[in-house]
Formats: sequence, C-alpha cells, structure tokens
Amino acid sequence: MVATPAIYPKVIKITHVYLGPAADRFIARQVQNHLGKQPELITREDLASIIDWIGVAVSLLTDDREIIEEYLNGLRKLAKQ
Amino acid sequence: MRQVNFRALRSVHPLIACAVLGILYLLLVSIFPANADSMTQYGWSSTEYHTIYLMIVIPMVATWFAAFYGYNWVRSYAKSIENTAEGDSYRQLANGVGWLALSLPVPTIASLILNSIANAHPGFHASAIIISNYIALILPLFAFAVIGNAARMLTATASIRISLAGARSVIFMFVLLGVAFCYLILKHFDLGSPASNNNPYFMPIWIMLLTIIVPYLYAWFVGLLAAYEFSVLATKTRGVLFSQALKLFALGLVTVIGSSIVLEYISSAAPRSGHLELNGRLLATYVFRIAAGIGFLLIAQGARRLRKIEEV
Repeated sequence: MVATPAIYPKVIKITHVYLGPAADRFIARQVQNHLGKQPELITREDLASIIDWIGVAVSLLTDDREIIEEYLNGLRKLAKQ
Repeated sequence: MRQVNFRALRSVHPLIACAVLGILYLLLVSIFPANADSMTQYGWSSTEYHTIYLMIVIPMVATWFAAFYGYNWVRSYAKSIENTAEGDSYRQLANGVGWLALSLPVPTIASLILNSIANAHPGFHASAIIISNYIALILPLFAFAVIGNAARMLTATASIRISLAGARSVIFMFVLLGVAFCYLILKHFDLGSPASNNNPYFMPIWIMLLTIIVPYLYAWFVGLLAAYEFSVLATKTRGVLFSQALKLFALGLVTVIGSSIVLEYISSAAPRSGHLELNGRLLATYVFRIAAGIGFLLIAQGARRLRKIEEV
C-alpha cells in the first residue's frame, strides 16, 4: 500500500495526550527500533505492527491499565481508518 | 546571567562527592576540640560533647545524600534530552539543583572549621561569624538565580505565562517574608549607632543591609518566582504521564526552595553563636533540613520518571 503522509502527525497528536513534549521522541524510538525506518514514513500497517511494542513500552511507565488501553485504542482506531 | 559550568564535580559522581564531604565532616566533628562554651553550658565532658554532636549531625549528613541523589537524577535526565528544545533549560536546572545540593554541606563544613579556629583563637570569632554568614548566602543565591533562569526558559519554551493573580501572590509572599526578615535582623542593631559592629553579626548596619539583607531578598524573590513558574509549568504541561512525573519534580523543587528559604531565614534572623546549642534554632534547622531532603528525594523520583519516558 502507498504510505499515507498524514499518519505520522496523527500518531504524534494521539501520543501527545499521554507523553506531552516527549511524544515525538517516543514514537521515533519505537519506529526506529522496531521497524528500522524514519518515523515520518510510518504507514498504517507499520503502526498496526508496533502497537503491541508501544503497549509494552507504556506499561513500563505506568500501572494504570485504563490509560494504557485508552492510548492503544486510539492508535488502533487510527491504524484501521 | 552567564551560565557557569558545574565543573568542580562534573567529572566525579555526585554521590561519591557527597560521601567525601560527609566523611570529611564527620571526621572533623570527631577530631576538632570540644567547644568550651557548650561544655560549660550543658555540663558535658569532651567525649559527651563529641558523641552528642555526632548524633545530631549524622541525620543531617543523610539529607546531603538525598540532595546529591536528587541532583544526580536531574543531571541524568538533562543529559538524556540534551539535544532537544528543552535540553539547555534542564541542563541549567540541573546545575542549579547541584548548587543547591552543595549549599547544604559546604556552609556547614566551613562553619565548623571557622568556629573551631575561633575556639582556639577567640580574636577570630567575629571573622568566623561574618565569613560563615557570607558562605551561607552565596551558594543558595547563585543556585536560585540559575534555577530561576531555567524556569523562565522552560515556561518560554512551553509558551506558558504566569497569571496576574499568581504573580501578585508571589510578590505578596515575598513582601511578607522580606518585611519580617528585616525586622528580625534589624532588632539586633542599635539604629542610633549605624557604624557600630557591636551586634551578633559583627557588621555595621549599612554593610548588613547591602551585602546580606538585599542579596537574600533578591535570592528569595527569584527562588519563589522560580518555584511558582515551575508549578505552573507542571500543571499546564500536556501529557498525562509526562505531567505526572513533572508534578512530582515540581513538588520536590518547591519543597527544596521553600526549605532553603526558611533555613536561610533561621540562620540569619537567629544569629549564629559559633558553638553547638540545643535550642529551638537547632530543632527548626533540623526539621527544615529533613524537609529539604524529602524535597530532593521527590525531585529524584520525578526526574527518574521523566528519564524513563526518554528511555523506553
């Protein structure tokens, strides 16, 4: 599928609700570490494939399952659009 | 204000530096001769004097460790984001926290050495008190200025402005503190003899005003403003998890700045005697040193969480 240029800013916008100023750095690390590509080039398929990794990373930051699920559900919705 | 690098301890792990200072201080307390005034006042032998002194200072040394532990984590977080928009601000904040951590052991050790010299050479007593007062002023003054700069840079980066009500609250608190401070100090002076050194500070009133009172008031205003700006930053920063960590950090910073102000208040308004006294001044100093230690631990916890966000 062709990369959708608009998805990266949407991923950052969702992540920003939880990680604030650290959102772009967090997503950049997940994309670079697990997909080996530039974060701006992330596609919906890429996002779907790293959501679980993002979940693992966020669970290291908080024990609040509600916040984690809320965040991941936001990303899942974006990946399915 | 030009940033001064924290060069002296940069190459040494903060906790190692603290351990060296702590061991040095405990050794000095143990080996310096007992103060005759304290022994006479309380009927202690030399051994009792040293034992009691050690029992009093060991918990205080523990708060130094808390301070350097907090500084270490702030420094670690600042390093982890050094290439970001907030990197410079947090590096400056780390430097400020470092100077604040140093402001716990350095004046204490200096005061012990100076007073011990004065014990052996009574003619040095006035100089010991004067130098101790200036050392106790300079480090927090510098620390608050650096932290104030950092807070201002962070709020500017985040495009956050403090409200008029908030600014007025800070000013009001400062005025209260300042007026009470001036009263508590000036009541020790004979205002009819402004050039006289015959007071617990061994300085003429005009030197006291210009070189002690005014710098303290400046430091407290800058410190209070920095504490308030950081609280607003923590409250208004977006990001649930990020904000939680920043609020912990801010709470610690506010506690440390507040405790530091109170400690300076106590040490200036209740003049130093140059020897160990078991009185309300010591108890109050103890309480607020412990509060500062707790503040530094909160700073460490907040910085740890912020650092973790940059690692996962």
